[in-house]
Amino acid sequence: MNASKLSKKRKAVTRDVEEEAGVFSGNELNVGDINGALSDNANELSSDEEDSEVELIDDFSDDEDEEEEEELDSDEIPSDGEEPLKKKAGKPAADLEVPTNDESSSEEEAEVNFRIEKDANGNDRYIYDEINPDDNSDYSDVEENANTIGNIPLSFYDQYPHIGYDINGKKIMRPAKGEALDALLDSIEIPKGFTGLTDPSTGKPLELSQDELELLRKVQMNEIPAEGYDPYEPLMEWFSNKQEVMPLSAAPEPKRRFVPSKHEAKRVMKIVKAIREGRILPYKPPSEEKEESLDLVSFDLWADEAERPDHPMHIPAPKLPPPGYEESYHPPPEYLPNNKERKAWEEADPEDREQEYLTTDFGSLRKVPGYGEFVKEKFERCLDLYLAPRVRRSKLNIDPESLLPKLPSPEELKPFPSVCATVFRGHKGRVRSLAVDPTGVWLATGGDDGTVRVWELLTGRQLYSVKVGEEEPVNVVRWRPGKDAVVLAAAAGDDLFLIVPPILDPELEQASLELMDAGWGYAASKPAPKASEEKKTTPPQWVRPSSALADSGVCAVIPLRYVAKSISWHRRGDYFVTVCPGSSTPASMAVAIHTVSKHLTQYPFSRRIKGGGPPQTAHFHPSKPILFVANQRTVRAYDLSRQLLVKIVQPGARWISSFDIHPTSSTASGGDNLIVGSYDRRLLWHDLELSQRPYKTLRYHRKAIRAVKFHPSGRYPLFADASDDGSLQIFHGSVTGDMLSNASIVPLKVLKGHKITGELGVLDLDWHPREAWCVSAGADGTCRLWM
Amino acid sequence: MAKIKKKGTSGQAKNFITRTQAVRKLQISLPDFRRLCIFKGIYPREPRNKKKASKSSTPNTTFYYTKDIQFLLHEPLLRKFRDQKALAKKIARSLGRGEVGDASRLEKNHAPRLTLDHIIKERYPTFIDALRDLDDALSLLFLFANLPSSAHVPPKTIALCQRVTHEFQHYLITTNSLRKSFLSIKGIYYQATIQGQDIMWLVPYRFVQRVNGDVDYRIMATFVEFYTTLLGFVNYRLYSTLGLRYPPKFDTRSDENGAELAAFTLEGRSVGEAPKAIEANKQTNKTSNQEVSREVQAKVDKVIKTAGLDRTKDEQVVESTEEASDAIDKFEPTAPEADTLPQPDLSIDQAGSLFAPFVFYVSRETPKAPLEFILRSFGCTRIGWDAVLGDGAFTHDETDTRITHQIVDRPSLPESSLPAVPAASEDAVQKVRPGTRIPGRTYVQPQWVWDCINDGKLLRADLYAPGATLPPHLSPWVKPSRGGYDPRASLAEQEEEGEAELDEESGSDEEMEDATDDKKAEAKEESEAESEDEDDINGGMDVAETDEDESGSEEEEEEDEDFGGFDGEAASESEDEEEAARTQHQKELEAEAAGLPFSSGGAAGEASKKKSAQAKKIASKKRKEEEELERQKMMMSRKKRKLLEKMMYSNKKQSDEAAKLRSKRRKLEKGEKGGQK
Repeated sequence: MNASKLSKKRKAVTRDVEEEAGVFSGNELNVGDINGALSDNANELSSDEEDSEVELIDDFSDDEDEEEEEELDSDEIPSDGEEPLKKKAGKPAADLEVPTNDESSSEEEAEVNFRIEKDANGNDRYIYDEINPDDNSDYSDVEENANTIGNIPLSFYDQYPHIGYDINGKKIMRPAKGEALDALLDSIEIPKGFTGLTDPSTGKPLELSQDELELLRKVQMNEIPAEGYDPYEPLMEWFSNKQEVMPLSAAPEPKRRFVPSKHEAKRVMKIVKAIREGRILPYKPPSEEKEESLDLVSFDLWADEAERPDHPMHIPAPKLPPPGYEESYHPPPEYLPNNKERKAWEEADPEDREQEYLTTDFGSLRKVPGYGEFVKEKFERCLDLYLAPRVRRSKLNIDPESLLPKLPSPEELKPFPSVCATVFRGHKGRVRSLAVDPTGVWLATGGDDGTVRVWELLTGRQLYSVKVGEEEPVNVVRWRPGKDAVVLAAAAGDDLFLIVPPILDPELEQASLELMDAGWGYAASKPAPKASEEKKTTPPQWVRPSSALADSGVCAVIPLRYVAKSISWHRRGDYFVTVCPGSSTPASMAVAIHTVSKHLTQYPFSRRIKGGGPPQTAHFHPSKPILFVANQRTVRAYDLSRQLLVKIVQPGARWISSFDIHPTSSTASGGDNLIVGSYDRRLLWHDLELSQRPYKTLRYHRKAIRAVKFHPSGRYPLFADASDDGSLQIFHGSVTGDMLSNASIVPLKVLKGHKITGELGVLDLDWHPREAWCVSAGADGTCRLWM
Repeated sequence: MAKIKKKGTSGQAKNFITRTQAVRKLQISLPDFRRLCIFKGIYPREPRNKKKASKSSTPNTTFYYTKDIQFLLHEPLLRKFRDQKALAKKIARSLGRGEVGDASRLEKNHAPRLTLDHIIKERYPTFIDALRDLDDALSLLFLFANLPSSAHVPPKTIALCQRVTHEFQHYLITTNSLRKSFLSIKGIYYQATIQGQDIMWLVPYRFVQRVNGDVDYRIMATFVEFYTTLLGFVNYRLYSTLGLRYPPKFDTRSDENGAELAAFTLEGRSVGEAPKAIEANKQTNKTSNQEVSREVQAKVDKVIKTAGLDRTKDEQVVESTEEASDAIDKFEPTAPEADTLPQPDLSIDQAGSLFAPFVFYVSRETPKAPLEFILRSFGCTRIGWDAVLGDGAFTHDETDTRITHQIVDRPSLPESSLPAVPAASEDAVQKVRPGTRIPGRTYVQPQWVWDCINDGKLLRADLYAPGATLPPHLSPWVKPSRGGYDPRASLAEQEEEGEAELDEESGSDEEMEDATDDKKAEAKEESEAESEDEDDINGGMDVAETDEDESGSEEEEEEDEDFGGFDGEAASESEDEEEAARTQHQKELEAEAAGLPFSSGGAAGEASKKKSAQAKKIASKKRKEEEELERQKMMMSRKKRKLLEKMMYSNKKQSDEAAKLRSKRRKLEKGEKGGQK
């Protein structure tokens, strides 16, 4: 009974602490009921323990105080989740058991020891009588409340509130323990984290979270408060006596760990003592013999010598040159310096001296002193050896003569003018132009004084003089080619004068005058220009000169209206071309072609020549009907018969001063050759067959070139130029007949003699028609014949 | 697109490295770098374009090849240098602490020894290479052998230099391979031929060398260190090819007595001799120091003879090429226009026998060392000298009758002018009064020896008699070149056509001036430097003027003819100058006529006229040639013309020099003739 009581009590306690008293009372009261239920359970013990428990609970609820139970249940649900589940599972089980109970009841119908009652649902409920065991039962003497679970460990019942059954099959409830109290306390609903303390700061009950509580606990228990700290982890030996392949730290063992060996200290002290006493020499001085023997060579370094190919970058040090005669202590007397040389040597800076010593004759060996600079010289050699960059220089060891081009010797090229033979004096001011007549007897000149003079070429005697220009200088004089008549064309100011100088023999003079006069008739017969044609560009009419001029030999005057600076006759002597280069000249009137036989003047160009400024000079081709006109930069060739532009020559000069056409042009099979002189100091040889550009550019003058001229006859391949630097240069320029070889040009001679006056030197030159002589007109008022 | 190339990563920028960069790369100090460069023979290079090679804007930098420096990086000496530096630090520290003993111990025992063997092998892979580079080595070592010891030059170095040079000289003596020698102002040049290599070096005269402040002895010492090692190995090799033991026996005692060359004893090395025996010999050597030097000398002679035999044997076996035939045939060109090939002028046999039959006695006043060396190398074995000149002589007795030649270098003074010899001279050897002649022997001046060996034959001794004016001493190395001046040849052979006349013409006035100048100068002695100055200036002026005068008549013509159109400005200037000079000269002439009567006149006038005409002709011809040249130059391209002008310049310099010498000689000869008349 104790056990049961205990169990009951426990049960009650577990259920509801508050109604403990009531439970007790109820338990006392309803013993019979409980027992009945217990018996019921006992029958079914084999079937299912859980069920029985459920039943039991049911019993409780049903039989005793359902209201209470329900109340309790409702209370319990939040606290204990197990029970409702069991209850739910228990209900159907109870329902199922009903038939089995029925069967058993049918079996035991014979002796009915039960009563049927109605339960709450109105179903039959069998309430069995309590079994009254006989006296002959084995268990009679057994204590009523003894546990009857038999020989099984009590631990099987650990989960249950009872610990077995008494003889009556009633549960022996587990006696209450401390745990029960705990359970009770557990069952009391207290707010989470309730401490019962009051937070002094807020005045509210102090609530602590689970973690804080845990922390508190740990502190209280002297444990390490950190979460998850394991004070007894297994030991990893990071630093051990084992040598790791990859140690965490390779730092050497610190010296502080070193514990000196006392034994060693003892031994060291022994040695120290020995050294102090001199028994041991710590450093044995090497013997001198040994030292010396180290200096001595004792093996052949080149025993196994192997030639090594020389490195291309390696430059061996150049050897010093051997001494010459001048270094001798007793040199030949001619090597001795004279006073001047000695003085120069002494005065020169030591670095500037060609020889570092002064050649001296000591006479005999005993008089030779020591050379003071010896150490310094050797030192400098040392410096050179390691400090001077070495450079290989290829020395050209060829005869300089072989570099010189092979030129025909001047003897072969002779004759050419080389000396001044005659000086023609008489002009006041510059001599602007000159010309040698086709026979080669006379020289005509025109100068700044406005006179045209004719001289005897060889003697320099003035034969004739006429003043054609009043103030204007005579710009140009030219003889008419051909020996049938002698006519001189001269340009002074705006007019052209055709002169037959009265120095000729009468027949020739007559012929010349007739030639000049023939045109008058033609001009008269020709109808006068129509009014419509009378424009500004009307060609001028030739007029007869004033009587004074006519007396002095002037036959015709052509009023050109502009200053003509260039006259050039056609080979046959019937035409001549004049050029007025002035910038004010209208383009159409710059170049005029005059016909002597018709006394006619024509302007071949109606427009300005494109590019290169106004025309400068013009020449007829020696054999073809071609007119060459040069403007400042180009020379153009016009075919007069077809009236076409044939060729443009571009010498590349800035300002062409003059040009000349080779006399054999196109007669020999070679092409046309042209020389061009320019104010920018260039003399250009053009082979028209080759290119528009010059074949040779010669720049031997320091000042502008005024005039260039080929020798007019084909006999002498000479040409000359006259320059403002007061010199003439004579060249040999031979044009070969075949097309393969180019012209060969050889400079021959510089003729100097003209004085430079007012920045001007030689203004014009001309060749003698047959001989290799030339005549030059100088700005100094003289003309010179060179032969 | 191609990758953009970064600047300074290829080409010259990478191939060259400045000195500072090199020093940094090698991580040594500049003096160490200098030493290393000297040892290794690394020298700076000149980049083709300095701007491209240098990365900095500093213009004056020394460039080295990067590969050279890379090569230095592997040098074992570098470590030695570092050791040295560390040691220097230690020594400095112990000195700072006042532990002098420690410092000295460190210095003595721990100084790293530099060995240059490997460098020598590396720089001169073959023995011939080493011989080729021996010129500078010998010159420097001979200088150092003659230097006084000082703080910069320790006596040990000097002794080493002396030893190696003497050993080398001994080899030359033994093999008779000295070929030429020349007494110059600076010192004595020698040339030897060893295994076909010509080696020339310069030995200073024995005077205390003047040392200027700007000589860095550390650099020289580095060179000397290298050269001594080199010469040591060369000597070893040379000696061993002769079958001689190296090092030769060195008698310190006789060396102290000034024996110099004779202090060494050459010993043959027999086949079976082992290094042990050499050591034994060494010991005996020490004990036998007391032997008289004469005996040593005799020994030397003996050994030399045997060695000579050895050598011939050796050469027959090993080097048959060098001495295939005994004498080389002389090749004479048969036609004058053919080229002449150079031929060795002196064979070993000839050289070895030149002085062989004679006994020389070297007087006190002559330089013993070079004479001994030369005489010995040319076969003379018996050389005697005064006892004051040191040990090792054949005889110290001047009166020895065996002496055939005596080399003296003192003027022949009349007997009376000599100071009296102290009557009681105990010295047995010093019996002969200086200046007396012992009959039966030839007295010559030292130059005779040099001239003999350079000519390869014995010359007339009377030309070199004491007191006689010596013939000029000529350098044996100058080869007569075309257009150069050769003092050996007569004047007529080498002067250009008509040069003499021209020169005479132009020179007559000048000469006069010069002569008067000289006279004046002599008369005035050292009175006033100023007056001399003036004279000189006058003389100089006159030279120019006379030239002008000579061509004065042709001046006009020249002006006309000259094709010098390209330097007209200069020409015009010179014209002015000429004019001025002419007038001045006219004045001077007048003054001269007033003061100094002109000697040439009358009969001489005609001759001079003729001469002047000739001269004129020559001058005009010359002018013509010049003109022709100008013409030719005009037709050349600019580049070629420049080249030609350069060549002409150097040629002209040479020919001018020659012409000057010729004119001087002409004058001298004329003066002589005048003197004779």
